[in-house]
Amino acid sequence: MRANRDRRATSPGWWRVSRLHRVAAYVPTLLLARRNVSRATARSALAVVAVVIGVVAIGAIGTGGEAFKQDQLEAYEGFGGTATVNPVFYPDEEDPDPHFSREEIDRMRQAAEGATVLPVVQSFGSLVRGPSGEVLVTAQVKGLEDPGSFYGTANGTIPDNWRRSVVVGSRVADDNDIEPGDQMTVVVDGQFERTFRVAAVLQPQGFADPLRADQSVFVPLAQFEDPEYGEAIVRVDPATGSVDEAATDIEEEFNSRRRTVDVERVQQQREQFEASFETINQFLIGVGAISLLVAAVTIANTLLMSAIEREGEIGVMRAVGYGRWDVTRLLVAEATVLGVVGGAIGAPLALGIGAAINAVLVGDPLAFTPAGLRYVGLGLAFGVLTALVAGVYPAWKAANKRPAEAFD
Amino acid sequence: MTAEHPPRDRHGDGAVERTRPDGGLADPPDPSSAAVIRGEDVVKEYRTGGQTIRALKGIDFRIDPADSVAIVGPSGSGKSTLLNLLGLLDVPTEGEIRLRGEDVAGLSTGERTRERKRTIGFVFQSYYLIPTLTALENVEMPRMLDRTPRRTRERATELLERVGLGDRLDHYPDELSGGQKQRVAIARSLVNDPEILLADEPTGNLDRDTGDRILDLFEELRTDEGVAVVTVTHDAYVAEAADRVVDLIDGELREETAATRADGEGGGEGEP
Repeated sequence: MRANRDRRATSPGWWRVSRLHRVAAYVPTLLLARRNVSRATARSALAVVAVVIGVVAIGAIGTGGEAFKQDQLEAYEGFGGTATVNPVFYPDEEDPDPHFSREEIDRMRQAAEGATVLPVVQSFGSLVRGPSGEVLVTAQVKGLEDPGSFYGTANGTIPDNWRRSVVVGSRVADDNDIEPGDQMTVVVDGQFERTFRVAAVLQPQGFADPLRADQSVFVPLAQFEDPEYGEAIVRVDPATGSVDEAATDIEEEFNSRRRTVDVERVQQQREQFEASFETINQFLIGVGAISLLVAAVTIANTLLMSAIEREGEIGVMRAVGYGRWDVTRLLVAEATVLGVVGGAIGAPLALGIGAAINAVLVGDPLAFTPAGLRYVGLGLAFGVLTALVAGVYPAWKAANKRPAEAFD
Repeated sequence: MTAEHPPRDRHGDGAVERTRPDGGLADPPDPSSAAVIRGEDVVKEYRTGGQTIRALKGIDFRIDPADSVAIVGPSGSGKSTLLNLLGLLDVPTEGEIRLRGEDVAGLSTGERTRERKRTIGFVFQSYYLIPTLTALENVEMPRMLDRTPRRTRERATELLERVGLGDRLDHYPDELSGGQKQRVAIARSLVNDPEILLADEPTGNLDRDTGDRILDLFEELRTDEGVAVVTVTHDAYVAEAADRVVDLIDGELREETAATRADGEGGGEGEP
């Protein structure tokens, strides 16, 4: 026992965690493997680095991708029960600019019972001037009955009976320093040219908003004479109803004889995004896995060299009664130790990188999703497994060398 | 007998008598005892390139318990080949090797490994200690996979004390002198209580005094524990320490008699 303690104190090598050491002492193969790995420190370290890179690549791409996905999907939050209804455009027909009439909007409201239907006037031949008279090129003018029923305000309030002011999207307001109380001029071809007071600035909505409110200036519908509704927004509170049902009802009502409306649910876009994201992420993780392949080659090379160097030693082991299987196991254990050490370093690194990406994209470093963590686990498992597999051939080769040849 | 072959030019064919002399290694010191290992008409051939090299040309041998045999011969005479066959590291091309009466050709690789572990201890010129293991662990090494760590440790400690290294248990090989390393290697060879100790140039890397101590140790093991010691050497001094000396020349064996031994001193010239 005394000897045991002393030996631990003097044992060489960089992997000397006392508890692991004690465990290793119970598994002689592991003890021998660990000692052997620590023998060629530089070479082992390089093999470990290769595994670390592989594990980090898979883990960080996985968690980073998940963080990106979370960030993107957040944009769809709040639009889950939303769909847009657009008239179908047939180019050979007379009306070049199809739109809904008030009757059609009423039919929609009847068809989609329980859903809120908001008609939208989109006027493309329009122009917006800011407080100092400059033209806001990117701002779109939209007529809406009550933006407050759909969006929250960041600044200012929308009057109950909204008829004489405009409501500005967050992007338009930010880009042009517009605040509630400022004056803006809106010109709509063939309709009006008026100066409005800004009543409110809306909260940012993100790219998933079907109305693109961030880039819009909303004008009360009352300002338009004989409004032409280019689009309608259908909204169902997900707690009480289903936007899918409302969408189906509207399509049945309008498209029974001929396809006249096109209903698109925001949820569909979200699903499409998720599907395409999944493909891209798998591809990136595949690229990460290639770095593990390189690690496998490095480990195989390390072990082949080690086996050649230790030919005499392995010969002695065979001579004193170690079977081929024992020698194989020992060398595979050495490879596995490299993989485990690489994984043990790589996995926390991957988590760290993942936390940094989370902090940037999601705002919370600990916002790991189960899927993201699964990728770190996958990287770890792959790292260890790759090392193990890479060890098999050199090990088998060394074990099958006839012991006699080692002494000639 | 040594007069028949000049010290140099051992590889020439013509100068050496072909016939197997009466007696030789086949003659037991005590014919009534059971041989540990015994070879009959053993031939070993190697193929190198397109050529077949006949390393052993049909030799008989026999090792009994507590035997003390020195196999002497120049390089290329088949010493290593014979050692590998005696150590069950290889099987003969022709002829028979019997371990306690059982033909080793009938054993699988795994069975030969087990028999080797049970019966034979190896000592090498360059020690072949594992540099990452302490002296004690090196001695334990052959039994490390046996799942009897406590008994192994006791036995290894005992052996190291016996070879005079009781105070060096926790030293690594690079902290030991050549003689100490060889003593560790001998302790290692004894950890499984072998019946035969095969020593390949055991003193080849040691000075005369240190070598003497190793040879004394062999003698002690032989008389105390009945271990047969087979030494392969080109050093006549080492051969002298053995009871029987066998010349291996060009793959054939001749036993030296006490009368011819005095002339055999130059047997190792020409070898590094």
